[in-house]
Amino acid sequence: MAYGIKRGIRFQILSDEDLDRIHWSTLHILEKIGVQVDSPACRKLLKDNGCTVDEKTRIAKIPSYLVEEALIKKKGAFTLAGRNPKYDAKLDMNHSYMTANGNGAVAVDFETGERRGSMKKDVVNSSRIIDALENVHIHWPMVSSTDQHPSVVHLHDLDASLNNTEKHVMYETGVTLSDAKDLTEMGYIAAGGEKEYRQRPLTSCLQCTYAPLQHDAGVMDASLYFAKAGVPLVFFGMPQPGATGPATLVGSLAVGNAEVLSALTMIQLDTPGASIIYGMGNAPLDMRTTVRAGGSPEHAISSAMATELAHYYGMPSCVGVSATAKVPGDQSVLEYYTGCVGPLMAGADLMCGVGLLEDSSCLHYEEIVMDNEIIGAIARLIRGEWADEDTLALDVIEKVGVGKNFLAQRHTVDHFKSEHFKPTLIDRRSYDAWSQTGSKTLRDAARDRVKKILAEHKVAPIAADRQKGLTAVIEKAKKPMWGGESKVQ
Amino acid sequence: MEDAVTRLRNAVINYEMETIADLAKQALKEGVNPLVAIEKGLAEGIKTVGEKFGKGEIFLPELVMGAEAMKAALAVLEPAVPSGQHRASAGKVVIGTVQDDIHEIGKNLVSTMLSSNGFEVIDLGVNVPSPEFVKKSEEHGAKIVAMSALMTTTMPRMAEVIGPIKKKKLGVKALVGGAPVTDTYAKEIGAEGYSGDASSAVEVAKKLVR
Repeated sequence: MAYGIKRGIRFQILSDEDLDRIHWSTLHILEKIGVQVDSPACRKLLKDNGCTVDEKTRIAKIPSYLVEEALIKKKGAFTLAGRNPKYDAKLDMNHSYMTANGNGAVAVDFETGERRGSMKKDVVNSSRIIDALENVHIHWPMVSSTDQHPSVVHLHDLDASLNNTEKHVMYETGVTLSDAKDLTEMGYIAAGGEKEYRQRPLTSCLQCTYAPLQHDAGVMDASLYFAKAGVPLVFFGMPQPGATGPATLVGSLAVGNAEVLSALTMIQLDTPGASIIYGMGNAPLDMRTTVRAGGSPEHAISSAMATELAHYYGMPSCVGVSATAKVPGDQSVLEYYTGCVGPLMAGADLMCGVGLLEDSSCLHYEEIVMDNEIIGAIARLIRGEWADEDTLALDVIEKVGVGKNFLAQRHTVDHFKSEHFKPTLIDRRSYDAWSQTGSKTLRDAARDRVKKILAEHKVAPIAADRQKGLTAVIEKAKKPMWGGESKVQ
Repeated sequence: MEDAVTRLRNAVINYEMETIADLAKQALKEGVNPLVAIEKGLAEGIKTVGEKFGKGEIFLPELVMGAEAMKAALAVLEPAVPSGQHRASAGKVVIGTVQDDIHEIGKNLVSTMLSSNGFEVIDLGVNVPSPEFVKKSEEHGAKIVAMSALMTTTMPRMAEVIGPIKKKKLGVKALVGGAPVTDTYAKEIGAEGYSGDASSAVEVAKKLVR
């Protein structure tokens, strides 16, 4: 059985005409308005290939043929490999994969309940939890190891992740050229060498563009390096409708699309055929609280439309979900469910990601497990239904006849396991049974499952020499915090 | 017919950002004292807008438009203020995003909120070199230096500003914020104020200048 969520139904939001119109508008934006490119290397690349580049404003205007060419050059389908091949995520446009959420800086301590700066042990524990969960397919370092030396926090994050899950690890901390080099080297070491890594990339990097219409220097310099080194990339636009993009969702989609396509163009000019995933996470700014409305219906439908646009380009999508809830519970479930169900019904290839609250800032171990349950239910919703001899079961209906039941039928035993979603946290028992065992809430049940995973779940370790290699990269990279490289030129 | 000061106040309350500059020019032509126009007109107007936002009667875009209207009128009135005279304000705030960080929306919101609550805001923009924060705070005699960072990698830049400010005994208090910044982190680097969102930044700032 293939890894991931098999999807058999798809909702359509935008018509083909809508998609064409968004595409043409995006080409118009890139050609007439342009994007700000802070990296001198990228500006040169664009200029050498026929773009109009203003060195003073750093704005590059990109002719549409370059964008169209990039869309032809890019790789359509590829695999995000896991340390264990059974976790290989094939981006084949037929499966959806859920990822962990990433790089918050705060965690609620599982033992004491204290809300504090996140530590490496949180990265270790959350990696093990993700490894154990059946409905989360790709890992992210969920929080930052803020208890480690500031210059190598992100390397500790990757170290803790690679050592504690066999699933693919995607990170979002490759924001300078030196970060990119270290993170790539660690990927190579974990895979057993560059050649092995290029065949089976165990890591990938998600890069954010800056709305509206800007590309950070460090991020793009790092991206050029990653692409050359064979590290798969996600370019993730995130205009906030009403704030850093038009209030209309489609308008913000066009802004984000211009950012993603211009990044794609730069990469394909430098490394033709590079593996790029189309990313977007447009949550509006809440106009009352000034907080980004992660997990809102607008976030969900924007992610769904971005998926349709990605597929229009023949690219796998990676779209965002989050929640503004402060504690695991009613609100977090409502937000995560809303945020996930829309995009997954539209065929999202990757969704990032589960387990963080306060809009991707704060880790709660219980939330990871609760979100896993949400995805399980949605996986069933999108599996697809079909009417054939087997599913219609006319022969069984005839055999059982009128007024009897189907419990003792071979057909029932053969089908109920794959046909019916089996919850791990949802409690369907009677009131009496439930109240006699402590009247536990969903969160209580999640807490029990976390305890069990942390106590019992074993993850096959990375080979000792590779572990040593990872540690050596971190030691070498340690440097005084500032006075070194600056990202923005 | 309303007097010129009332017209200016109402123009802020009604977000007339396209036309308010003309009203300001008209007021000066009528011989209105520019300081009175600012304090009784614009400042009163933006105070009303801020209160409405606080009560949830209006939303962020309306608040920002009110602030824009005030800015447009200030551009006309401020140069007309006789030298040596200053408008009353809750305090001067120097604000920007830290070096290597170009995420500006949060900073802009805080900036708007502060000005709508009577603070005089000197916005240094994005990717502000650490020494620049120190220099501008000193130059303007700011009461608060407000810094925003959106990435865990740029957050430590805040400490680079706070150190010299303390050493020089400028008496400027640091207000920090941004997604990865926490109360604990703020304390660790010696910042006097921390705020998790733009709305509460105002309350913190008020406490800091008290």
